[in-house]
Amino acid sequence: MSIAEIRNLNKAYPSFRLQDVSFDIREGRITGFIGRNGAGKTTTIKSILNLVHPDNGEIVYFGKKLADNESEIKKLIGYSTGSVNWYPRKKIKEIVSTVRDFYDTWDEEAYRRYLSLFNLDENKAARELSEGMKVKCNLLIALSHKARILILDEPTSGLDPFSRDELTEIFIKLKEEGVAVFFSTHIISDIEKCADDIVYISGGRIVAALPKKEFETRYSLPGESLEETFLRMERGERNA
Amino acid sequence: MLKLLRKEFRLSASILSFLFIPFGLMFFLPGYPVLCGVFFVTLGLFQSFQNARETNDILFSALLPLAKRDVVKGKYLFVCFIEICALILMGAAAAVRMTVLADSEVYRSNALMNANFFALGLAFVIFGLFNSVFVGGFFKTAYKFAGPFLTYIISAFVTLGAGEALHCFPGLEFLNAFGTDNIGIQLALLAAGFLIYLLLTYISFKKSCRYFERIDL
Repeated sequence: MSIAEIRNLNKAYPSFRLQDVSFDIREGRITGFIGRNGAGKTTTIKSILNLVHPDNGEIVYFGKKLADNESEIKKLIGYSTGSVNWYPRKKIKEIVSTVRDFYDTWDEEAYRRYLSLFNLDENKAARELSEGMKVKCNLLIALSHKARILILDEPTSGLDPFSRDELTEIFIKLKEEGVAVFFSTHIISDIEKCADDIVYISGGRIVAALPKKEFETRYSLPGESLEETFLRMERGERNA
Repeated sequence: MLKLLRKEFRLSASILSFLFIPFGLMFFLPGYPVLCGVFFVTLGLFQSFQNARETNDILFSALLPLAKRDVVKGKYLFVCFIEICALILMGAAAAVRMTVLADSEVYRSNALMNANFFALGLAFVIFGLFNSVFVGGFFKTAYKFAGPFLTYIISAFVTLGAGEALHCFPGLEFLNAFGTDNIGIQLALLAAGFLIYLLLTYISFKKSCRYFERIDL
């Protein structure tokens, strides 16, 4: 079942254009959003969170338009980015004690459970956390308010292979609990490891949005790895 | 509403915003331009906006389960709360000077503006300018604040200078009333200042909501 339906998003910047971006995010599945740097991943993610205003297009979550049901829908979304620090000098527990006021679905027991699972110390300030810990901290908040969809912008960028592996394992566990995970990356091995669906963006256009197996059948040459497929497709795009 | 205010207090407010509230008591100072206290209070508020920008508060708030206009509302609530706290102190100081200390020689011989209801009305106007020029200017981009703050400083000091100068003009001596002299016109000027504050803040809030809705974070 589609949790989010993105249809025909367009956004023009002076030097970049997002064109007719359409894809679905499905319940209980991990969707890898892949594209090289500058392909439009972050613009797309910011658009589907209403942080960037698309010139046109439609964003629907749980059958409701984001534009008309913003606060209600945001209660069901968890967002994380590895590149932005929130309140670097505040302790995790200070941030959490404020954030929990905004969610009537806040589950203190789940919060304690994930705190322990992610091995986070709530007395640490945000600036004392490693990149991986920051992502986990965002996940902690999202999961404690029972987000049904996690939208993660390059959560594995800047992480060492062990932390990346740990994070992808967490994604798989969350998927098993019925959470939809949508994460952008330019690290193809992360997609290979855990994604069920692939959304591939290049030059601001969606090249493919389909299940990983179908993607491999349609685009990969015999014996070719997913990484080789993407590299070949990107080269083709450049040469076109 | 309380949730928004609590979020501002706990996460994005600078301690200086609170520490600068007592500058409202500068209304007690003789021989000093009392409206400078208003400026210092807004300087404390400016620190909170600086803090908010450095800690990515606006982006964080926009991701909370709120409509975008509620992010703007949170900032205006916080600003108005601090301003009202300072205005209470200024009002109390003005009331003491107009009653208990009405005949105090140190205030009677004060060459500068007297801390009366007219001064309090001007304090409302300057706070209104802060909300309109600075806060409204900030929300055009949600990250640039140097330009809006500079414009605010100029407008605030022009208002302050006008307030200090007006009572020196023939026929306008009543603006510098002591005690309950000219109390009717004093109260009218206070009410006018309050209305200007409400109007500037309301228009600025509405415009900020529109700007913030349009900008890309």
